[in-house]
Amino acid sequence: MKRREFLRNALTLGASCAAGGALMGRAGSHVAAGTFLRPPGALNEDDFLSTCIRCGRCGDACPNRCITTFTRDVGKDFSLAPGPGEEGTPVIFPRRQACMLCQGVPGEYLRCTDACPTGALQKISKEYESLQKHVEMGIAEVDHQICHSYNGATCGVCGRACPFPGKALKIGLYERPTVNPDYCIGCGLCERSCIKYPQAIRIVPRHKQFESQGGTLAGLLKTLLSGTA
Amino acid sequence: MSALRKAWTALCPKPGWQWARRGVQAAAIALLFLLPVLARYNNYLASRELDGVMERWQDRSQGQILAATDQALRATGSEEQVFEGNPRRNREELQERLARYRGSVWSVEIAGVSMTDPLAVAESASASKQLRWVLFVGLLLPLGITLILGRVFCSWVCPMNTLLELTDKLRGVLKFLELPPHNLRFWRGNKFLLLGMGILAALLFSVPLLGYFYPPAIFGREIHNWVNVFFDRAEAGAPGISWLGGLSIASGFVLGVMVLEVFVSERLWCRYLCPGGALYCLLGKFRTVRVRRDVAKCTDCADCITVCGMGLNPMRDVTGIECDNCALCITYCEPRALSFRFDLFDPRPQGPGQGLPKVPAAPVPEPKAVEVPERAKAVAS
Repeated sequence: MKRREFLRNALTLGASCAAGGALMGRAGSHVAAGTFLRPPGALNEDDFLSTCIRCGRCGDACPNRCITTFTRDVGKDFSLAPGPGEEGTPVIFPRRQACMLCQGVPGEYLRCTDACPTGALQKISKEYESLQKHVEMGIAEVDHQICHSYNGATCGVCGRACPFPGKALKIGLYERPTVNPDYCIGCGLCERSCIKYPQAIRIVPRHKQFESQGGTLAGLLKTLLSGTA
Repeated sequence: MSALRKAWTALCPKPGWQWARRGVQAAAIALLFLLPVLARYNNYLASRELDGVMERWQDRSQGQILAATDQALRATGSEEQVFEGNPRRNREELQERLARYRGSVWSVEIAGVSMTDPLAVAESASASKQLRWVLFVGLLLPLGITLILGRVFCSWVCPMNTLLELTDKLRGVLKFLELPPHNLRFWRGNKFLLLGMGILAALLFSVPLLGYFYPPAIFGREIHNWVNVFFDRAEAGAPGISWLGGLSIASGFVLGVMVLEVFVSERLWCRYLCPGGALYCLLGKFRTVRVRRDVAKCTDCADCITVCGMGLNPMRDVTGIECDNCALCITYCEPRALSFRFDLFDPRPQGPGQGLPKVPAAPVPEPKAVEVPERAKAVAS
């Protein structure tokens, strides 16, 4: 066998092995999607996925680094994997780091919304009224089975972490938390502060509530891809 | 020292345009690494204990990088207040300054100027079917530069192009070892086809797909990822440096393209496949700066064809929309027949070069008059 022929064969073999390995690795580890939050000011999930260019500027801008780029590595800690079209999009896992709504940071607007070059995150002022009106990442939910205060002890940590105490999260008798969905914007600070594991108070993301189940081509593509992946 | 100079001349053989170009390329790559570091610094400054972090990581490269960043930023900032005999960080001012630097080559904000890749704008607009004014604020500068100077993003900024110019040197090494690599040629329209398919897919499925395999976007995401893994290691207390945690399918894709370029086809990605390059080609169709050839000086030596990364033929005035104004042909032109000119249209083919010195035709000896001997004359008469 000539040297050139040998090299060519070796190269082809190596390339096909690598490709095969990559495919096997992909097929084996797809996990069903769980929950994560979108940054404040995000459009509806379908619009967000189509408008966002996955540049990561919001993540750079976040002073608390709660916004991370959704990759397989990041999702691993939460048994999550990015679904079709979600790879590279900005997400918040409130258990890891929650949104502090840029309080105590200079600037007029929420940093990430100011940084977004596409309008996938709408520009939002840091004022109380504007936050209440425009930010809706999700809504907190208390699991009475797990929560300390509902099970004979007193805790109340979540109420002290809440940026709108007494409004979004009321602490009642025996420090029992109750959520007022009219005021809760889903920043996740309560979930981050919860001393129980799994967390007794969790954010139900908005994009889960409003996710369109079909009708659009994007939805069709999503179901097709998730069926085969 | 002489080895260093040799390496430099191998990279950048002649002064002129190439110095400027290499400088811009190096700055682009440095910024790719610097911007995520600045974001990290901003994070520690805004919501963690920066001094404590730097003190804990004193002996680690992460801590040293943070300390260097800190010193540089404080030195360039406004005057600091003195608190208990020590200058205290101007936190507000630092954070406001840092807010104006973020992103990657895909979409970047430098000193408050937002720039977004035209491909990103095209994809976002076609996928969402909405034209938001924020998009066009970022598009203004790149679009203006491309309309005037042509496809200069590719040759002066794109990190993939920088990397592939280096892999081209590997091809040279292979040739030197007498293992000449293949150079398959494909149809150049492939990249326009890919661009069209990507935009069509974005319109139909409302998902921007081209960004997933457009190298500048990949570089931005991957390098951010590397820097994050790098600092996360220090936060987790793990020893050493590891970037392997940041290697993903996208990095594998870039490496695969590099391997193919070395062994299969010269500049495979830029010439035949890159959708972003295709968009820059189209936008730069009516550029005002073009490579021009002075026929009177050209000697038809074909050096310009050899060095052209895009595989064009400046020697016969064939540059077209694919020329990225990298000025390599101008630098390497021995008789200095090529130069940049302001012109809206490509030149007409001007035929072979006239620059070779005229070799005078060999003189034809005049027939000597045959001398006729006297006696023969006498005989004839």
